[in-house]
Amino acid sequence: MLQIKNLHATVEGEEILKGINLSIKPGEVHAIMGPNGSGKSTLASVIAGNEDYEVQEGDIIFDKANISELSPDERAHKGIFLSFQYPVSIPGVSVTNFIKTSINQIRKSRGLEEMSASDMLKTMREKSKLLGIDRKFLSRSLNENFSGGEKKRNEIFQMAMLEPKLAILDETDSGLDIDALKTVANGVNKLRTEDNATLVITHYQRLLDYIVPDVVHVLLDGKIVKSGDKDLALKLEREGYDWLKTETVNA
Amino acid sequence: MAQTDQDLKEKLISSFFAFEEQMDLENDHHQMRDDAIKIFEEKGFPTKKLEEWKYTSLRPVLNSDFNLFPKEEKSLEYNDIKKYCIHDIDSYQIVFIDGVYSSHLSTTTHDKFDACLMSSFLNRPKYKPLVDKYFNQITPKESMDALNTAFSKEGAYIRVPKEVAAEKPVQILNFSTGSDEKLMLQPRNLIIVEEGAEVEVIERHQSLTENEVLTNSVTEIFLEKNAKLDHYKIQNDKQKASLIDSTYVKQAESSDCEIYTFSFGGKLTRNNLHYFQDGEYINSSMKGVTIIEDKQHVDHNTLVHHTQPNCESHQDYKGIFADRSTGVFNGRVLVDKIAQKTNAFQSNNNILIDDKATINSKPQLEIFADDVACSHGCTIGELDEEALFYMRSRGIPEKEARALLMYAFANNVLNSVNIPELKRRITKQIANKIGVSLGFEL
Amino acid sequence: MAYTEQELEKELEHKEYEYGFYTDIESDKLPKGLNEDIVRAISKKKNEPEWMTEWRLEAYRGWEKMQEPDWSNVNYEKPDYQNISYYSSPNSSKPKYDSIDEVDPELLDTFNKLGISLEEQKKLAGVAVDVVMDSTSVATTFKKNLAEKGIIFCSISEAIQEYPELVKKYMGSVVPKNDNFFAALNSAVFSDGSFCYIPKGVKCPMELSTYFRINESGTGQFERTLVIAEDSSYVSYLEGCTAPMRDENQLHAAVVELVALDNAEIKYSTVQNWFPGDKEGKGGVFNFVTKRGLCEKNAKISWTQVETGSAVTWKYPSCVLKGDNSIGEFYSIALTNNYQQADTGTKMIHLGNDTKSTIISKGISAGRSQNSYRGLVKANSRAKNARNFSQCDSLLMGNKCGAHTFPYIEASSNSAQIEHEATTSKIGEDQIFYCNQRGIDEEKAIALIVNGFSKEVLNKLPMEFAVEAQKLLEISLEGSVG
Repeated sequence: MLQIKNLHATVEGEEILKGINLSIKPGEVHAIMGPNGSGKSTLASVIAGNEDYEVQEGDIIFDKANISELSPDERAHKGIFLSFQYPVSIPGVSVTNFIKTSINQIRKSRGLEEMSASDMLKTMREKSKLLGIDRKFLSRSLNENFSGGEKKRNEIFQMAMLEPKLAILDETDSGLDIDALKTVANGVNKLRTEDNATLVITHYQRLLDYIVPDVVHVLLDGKIVKSGDKDLALKLEREGYDWLKTETVNA
Repeated sequence: MAQTDQDLKEKLISSFFAFEEQMDLENDHHQMRDDAIKIFEEKGFPTKKLEEWKYTSLRPVLNSDFNLFPKEEKSLEYNDIKKYCIHDIDSYQIVFIDGVYSSHLSTTTHDKFDACLMSSFLNRPKYKPLVDKYFNQITPKESMDALNTAFSKEGAYIRVPKEVAAEKPVQILNFSTGSDEKLMLQPRNLIIVEEGAEVEVIERHQSLTENEVLTNSVTEIFLEKNAKLDHYKIQNDKQKASLIDSTYVKQAESSDCEIYTFSFGGKLTRNNLHYFQDGEYINSSMKGVTIIEDKQHVDHNTLVHHTQPNCESHQDYKGIFADRSTGVFNGRVLVDKIAQKTNAFQSNNNILIDDKATINSKPQLEIFADDVACSHGCTIGELDEEALFYMRSRGIPEKEARALLMYAFANNVLNSVNIPELKRRITKQIANKIGVSLGFEL
Repeated sequence: MAYTEQELEKELEHKEYEYGFYTDIESDKLPKGLNEDIVRAISKKKNEPEWMTEWRLEAYRGWEKMQEPDWSNVNYEKPDYQNISYYSSPNSSKPKYDSIDEVDPELLDTFNKLGISLEEQKKLAGVAVDVVMDSTSVATTFKKNLAEKGIIFCSISEAIQEYPELVKKYMGSVVPKNDNFFAALNSAVFSDGSFCYIPKGVKCPMELSTYFRINESGTGQFERTLVIAEDSSYVSYLEGCTAPMRDENQLHAAVVELVALDNAEIKYSTVQNWFPGDKEGKGGVFNFVTKRGLCEKNAKISWTQVETGSAVTWKYPSCVLKGDNSIGEFYSIALTNNYQQADTGTKMIHLGNDTKSTIISKGISAGRSQNSYRGLVKANSRAKNARNFSQCDSLLMGNKCGAHTFPYIEASSNSAQIEHEATTSKIGEDQIFYCNQRGIDEEKAIALIVNGFSKEVLNKLPMEFAVEAQKLLEISLEGSVG
């Protein structure tokens, strides 16, 4: 579903990604781990098409099409969803209104009719129930004065509404207490199907207790230095990243 | 009444010729003065019809009997003026009595930097390049400024050379002795802080009698790259003394200029404080505390012109108005198209103590750049009732509680005053004004 | 978020200036120019009584001596007042319509295009509409239903004939005939407008609405609205404005007077969409309007406006809070794009004790436009416990426009509490990216963010107007991206 080939990217002239190769198949959950500054969030932003980053080399193939030249909204239309580490607030725009705009724009891009108001309300009710979201929450201004947990839950709620093919969760666990973490992870698990894929970006192993990955990649200094199964995450938790650094240097 | 300002205008213009004769006509400044008097002749005294003078009328302080050149020189002893200077710190002092320099009361310097007289600056050939570069370069062509330029002769001149931090503050003290029944003064100051240099200045205008005096002062300030200036203006004058104090500041990149204005008295005080930013990463701050009573009038007219990206400006003016006093805050922030990433904050808070007191506030933002953070806030109101209640519930009587709150309201501007003795002095003045005696410092 | 369900149903694909069509109906027009004879002619055409003619002439004589003001932050070529036709009436054989069926079908079609089909409004929205096209009032729907409650809702011309005592008493009582240059001009030449009278204790059961439209080329529009709410009455009044696209500038100088007597409440909402001129700044309406309301004891006047149109706007809906406990409110969205200039705001004059006012102003500037808020809050020394809160926010889009704030705050009472805040900001790149990531393109994202920015004010509009206003904001911003 997603293939990244030799991806190099810079921000303000500084190279952050130094040749990433990654391949994700439908139904899979991949996790990317790595210390601060290794380029994890950059990778998420580059896949989503953030224009602050400049792609110097390499291709991003999604659903057999090269999406490297597409704008962020066009990528979203194709089914890429990014759950932001720091979701921005948009004062005066309600969660409902935002999601409604989002869904109808995506439908429009696919040549579909707008979703009827009653279907929209029905889906919202369903998904908010799934994630334990209060209906009142939907009338609040998007991310404005939201707590850390509310912001993350809102991201996952949007994901549930948009039903993307590829969901990228950027540090979704940061700032969450254990109960909130469980709720969010539970939501993600319920939304998993054979046709969609998830890319979990995290600093800690603890989220992976709840969202169990098929493949774990370690990102160090802009490169994937090691891939393995979920045990790799446990090893990293126990031993840190230093042994990998030495390994890389020696290699 | 309508005639008074006309008469005074006539008197000023005819005196100008006498003044010119006294000066050296060969002097380069003749043309400058002549142009200036023409501007004043055309514009006359400002009236309330002008937007910038909407809330301040000069009429009550204009008097055709003003003497423009003091008749006799009166000498003062140090004890007469001691209480008006910050005497407990080591400083240079430039003292003027009725507009005339008093050498025996002054301590000037030419050592590490210049703190001396405008008259010698203007007349000595060695200063000519500096005069050409700085003098009258940023003063607007408005009537009161032009009037000052036309009669510019004396005042303080301070120049701190490159990378020099002035070792002690400079006090500029202007006294009027009442030797003339009615006196009009036109002091002219120039402060140049060169690249990487630093200096602190304290400025005061003080009348020693109850005779009428009108001071029309103009100060030009230049800060070169990385320069720093803290300038404190203390205005706590007698009931019949009025002051129009115009200060124009031009700043080069990464310079930092803070000007404090403490207005506690005088009949009419008008402060024009205008900053022109000419470089990036400049900080311009202006802070003011105004506490007045009776029929006193204080007008703060500020302008910050942001012309380059990445600069900041901060304005914080607090006012407490009792009896029939009136306050004006007319603050303007102008952000040019290219001045992206400007941070400009403007705050004006006022408390009216009596029912006849008035505040007119006009905080303006004019913004032509989109990537900026600009805001202003203005409040007019009473003291925080909750805080008042809290204090009373702790046994503080209402009167004291009110005074304390007002004191705290005004006092927070003082926090950034860098000269401890000055801070202490002003704190005490504020406490006196408000009628609270504190055994401690807040 | 009361409109969420509504919003769900609305989406738009309008381009250009949607209402820029020209209705081809013969009109009855006076020769260009202004003098006492023209003033008399207007009065005569309308078959007015002598006192009205005299009133107009006094206004004209005052106007002659006045100068067009130039203190506002707008630049425009002053209109040539002798080159304007001061009266233009759609030329129908009958002066009045007994039923809607008699209205020129083409006119009706115009209204349909405006989205205010009278019949539909009648059936669905329950809004009584008075339509002023160019200068004369065309039809007032729902008259009968209102009359049962004693409510008078008719054209001002009709009011002058039928209710002269009311008109005599109140016209010019809030905006004196020589109040300012444009008000004086209006007083001399106003051709029509709406009149509304709500008797004591009556709550008007429906929204009253007037649609203004300039049609004829080379005409000015000078309508006059007078709303009187007697003791303990309530009315919500809507005003909509459109004008066709034209190369030359058209002049609109209206006067609106509101009188809220003891315990009465008037809600006055405006969606102004006069033609703003084209992308090069050619054409467009000069909108120089005087709007003022007077509040007696415990009365409340609330102005809500959404201003997206006009080349030049000069407008300060004000409240004179004369009675104790009276309340004034001003909620405004002013959006300028291309070469538009707006200088708008309000005046809150606190005269009575315990008076309160609220000002929420949202200014949005795009293109090469200049958008200024200018407001006055004044607390007289006799006004005990006056309260005001003002919030003025500006949003800048792009680097060729300007946003300016000129608040005047004058307090002479120690019991006054006044708070004013203003901020200036832009739409964040991160906000756009966030929307993009959710599949929302840039133009739509901006519309969404601008709508959010304006929400506090949109929420104050009656439902059907709120939807239209959102639509207008979106249309007005088109092409401002990039």
